[in-house]
Amino acid sequence: MINVLFFGPVADRIGGNRLQAEFRAGMRLQDLRDELVRQYPQAFEIVSMMAVNGEHVRNLSLPLADDSEVAFMAKFSGG
Amino acid sequence: MKEAVRIQQEDFSQDEEVAALKGSSKRMGGIGTFLGCARDFSEGREVEQISFEAYGSMALSEMRKLRADAIEKFALLDARIVHRIGTVQGGDNIVFIAAGAEHRVAALEACRWIIDELKQRVPIWKKEVTPQGDAWVVPHP
Repeated sequence: MINVLFFGPVADRIGGNRLQAEFRAGMRLQDLRDELVRQYPQAFEIVSMMAVNGEHVRNLSLPLADDSEVAFMAKFSGG
Repeated sequence: MKEAVRIQQEDFSQDEEVAALKGSSKRMGGIGTFLGCARDFSEGREVEQISFEAYGSMALSEMRKLRADAIEKFALLDARIVHRIGTVQGGDNIVFIAAGAEHRVAALEACRWIIDELKQRVPIWKKEVTPQGDAWVVPHP
């Protein structure tokens, strides 16, 4: 499974902080994003940052491993 | 001694952080600090409270990298970064950065660089609680 995390404004639009997506061999970050955009279009309007296993990722063609932790995030506003 | 990089609910003491920084080297000739506070007015509205949410493990790891990057980039002798999460009131402390170097220019420039980078790199979000309702903050460029 892929553990998907949401925070702050994105979590509000999703209606939760986490969900699990089924892992498929050869799955890329783009595949997971496309799947979630279809389910939560409003939330993904404000997604501009992504992280895989706690590291910033910009490359949507990144292959995902089973048990990965993926976060789709709005622009940060700390500080 | 407290860790040099922390995310915590409770307030911090600037004196303690500066003392810890100074304690790391007697070669330090300049210390630059930045204190970020909660404003009680924003975008034309009164703000009652600000609540912060973080992707905790990633935020801490990014702040540690940020400290290491700053130490290398500005040849700092040491640096400390503390960010609060949870709910704060107007006037409360939010974030503290201290950078120590042999000379003032590196200390001051590093401090400015760290807070600017923190806003770009560290996954923390703030929500303003106002009499008109709650709103997540859209970052300024």
